[in-house]
Amino acid sequence: MVRFQGVAMRYANGPEVLRDVTFHLEAGSYHFLTGPSGAGKSSLLRLMYLSHCASRGTVKVFGHDIETTPRRLLPGLRRRIGVVFQDFRLLDHLSARDNVALSLRIAGIKEDVIRAHVAELLSWVGLGDRLDATPSTLSDGEKQRVAIARAVIGRPSLLIADEPTGSIDEIQGMRILRLFEELNRIGTTVVVATHDQRLIARFNHRVLRLQDGQFTVEGRGP
Amino acid sequence: MARRPYDLPFAQDGSGRFLPWIIALMVYLAALASIAALATREAVSRWNAGLEGTATVEIAPALDSAGTDAAVAAAVALLRATPGVATVAVVPADEIARLLEPWLGPDAARSGLPLPRLIDLTFAPRARVDFAALGGTLVSAVPSARLDTHSQWLDRLQALGQSVQIAALAIVLLIAIAAGATVVFATRSGLAVHRELIELMHLIGSRDSYIAQQFQSHALSLALRGGALGVALGAGTVGALAVVSRPIQGALLPDLSLGASSIVALAALPLIAGAIALVTARITVLRALRKMP
Ligand SMILES: Nc1ncnc2c1ncn2[C@@H]1O[C@H](COP(=O)(O)OP(=O)(O)O)[C@@H](O)[C@H]1O
Ligand SMILES: [Mg+2]
Repeated sequence: MVRFQGVAMRYANGPEVLRDVTFHLEAGSYHFLTGPSGAGKSSLLRLMYLSHCASRGTVKVFGHDIETTPRRLLPGLRRRIGVVFQDFRLLDHLSARDNVALSLRIAGIKEDVIRAHVAELLSWVGLGDRLDATPSTLSDGEKQRVAIARAVIGRPSLLIADEPTGSIDEIQGMRILRLFEELNRIGTTVVVATHDQRLIARFNHRVLRLQDGQFTVEGRGP
Repeated sequence: MARRPYDLPFAQDGSGRFLPWIIALMVYLAALASIAALATREAVSRWNAGLEGTATVEIAPALDSAGTDAAVAAAVALLRATPGVATVAVVPADEIARLLEPWLGPDAARSGLPLPRLIDLTFAPRARVDFAALGGTLVSAVPSARLDTHSQWLDRLQALGQSVQIAALAIVLLIAIAAGATVVFATRSGLAVHRELIELMHLIGSRDSYIAQQFQSHALSLALRGGALGVALGAGTVGALAVVSRPIQGALLPDLSLGASSIVALAALPLIAGAIALVTARITVLRALRKMP
């Protein structure tokens, strides 16, 4: 599903923020990615959701070596990846409904199908009565759920969440992680970045750890 | 049902706000240039139709009016016998006097002043008359006769008409180029303003063409709105000019009232502006996005 081999990464001409990262995520697996703030978690995820390119090594997603994949094939690969960004990245001028619908519209899905799917999913995450609200009128927890709905509406085979519990309280955070468990149970490969060790301890998932420039993989997982 | 908002928040960025006004101004200028060209073309073809297939023979006055009459009679006889000549009409002497009245005074005809005589000719519709040969024959038979085919006057008129039309076309082309350049700059600034959201749309799997679609329909709607305003102003200006110029309109001033072809040309201008905006915006976006990850 995702394979990193001796990967290093740098921003423009800056120093390497990742060095010698090697791991393999099997289809249907669930991993936490952890490490202190500034360790490079977000950077590693950016490589994984095809936002940036590695400066060294190979990144393979769905079997495609990203460095040699033609640009025209990237949209297709990206549609199979759902991303929950650390800062949500919702479109402020669009309603919750249109924010979520965007993922399907760009794929050319018919409007009537979109309407039904979006309403259903937003109800499922508990926002059935906020369909037409714009992000500025939503709480952080609600925005988080809109962002998650946008990430999963296209039934991605890989779900990537960057600090999804960072800006919400513990109870809400647990609800979201249980939602991810459920998606994982139906076959979605999940990667969740968090610096919250207590959260990791509550679940029995494998852990990718970035610490002091060292990358390690821990745990057996279920 | 209300129109779905654009995926990109164009309403909030200033880059597109000035575009309709600039397009309105450009379409206004293009409308004036097109109408000038069309009016000139109509005037030239009207003059052409009036003068084509006609010629005038001028007989210089002889020493006495009997001599002049004899020359006129000889010329008329020769012309009547010329194949291709349809009608031969001697312009009456008092009409010539009337034509010359501004220069010679009201009593010219009666004063016994020697006046030239004119013979109006028309040719059969498809006759191929060799004017040079006819002129030569005429002069050798009647030395005081001179054939005027209006060709010099018509040639100059045609040349003038063509110059006006070429100038108008050049102006319209320059305006189209300027409009295209304006759309390029507006689109580039829109791309810069919305860069982060475009990046996001790429990340969730959007193709360049989907993003271009957003920009091009926005540019189209701005250009159509501006174009409609510009063409309305242009039609208003020409209408006002037509009203003002009516009292002095003679054979020389082109008719400024809007004919069918002018109306079609005017209606086409906003559509052309829209098409330029759409295509230019699309190409600009696609070229810019190709450089993004
Ligand atoms: N867009 C960027 N441009 C330049 N440097 C960056 C950028 N994003 C992150 N960094 C740097 O990369 C390092 C890792 O950051 P990040 O991946 O955000 O870590 P984490 O998500 O674990 O907190 C940090 O030193 C940070 O300053
Ligand atoms: Mg981070």
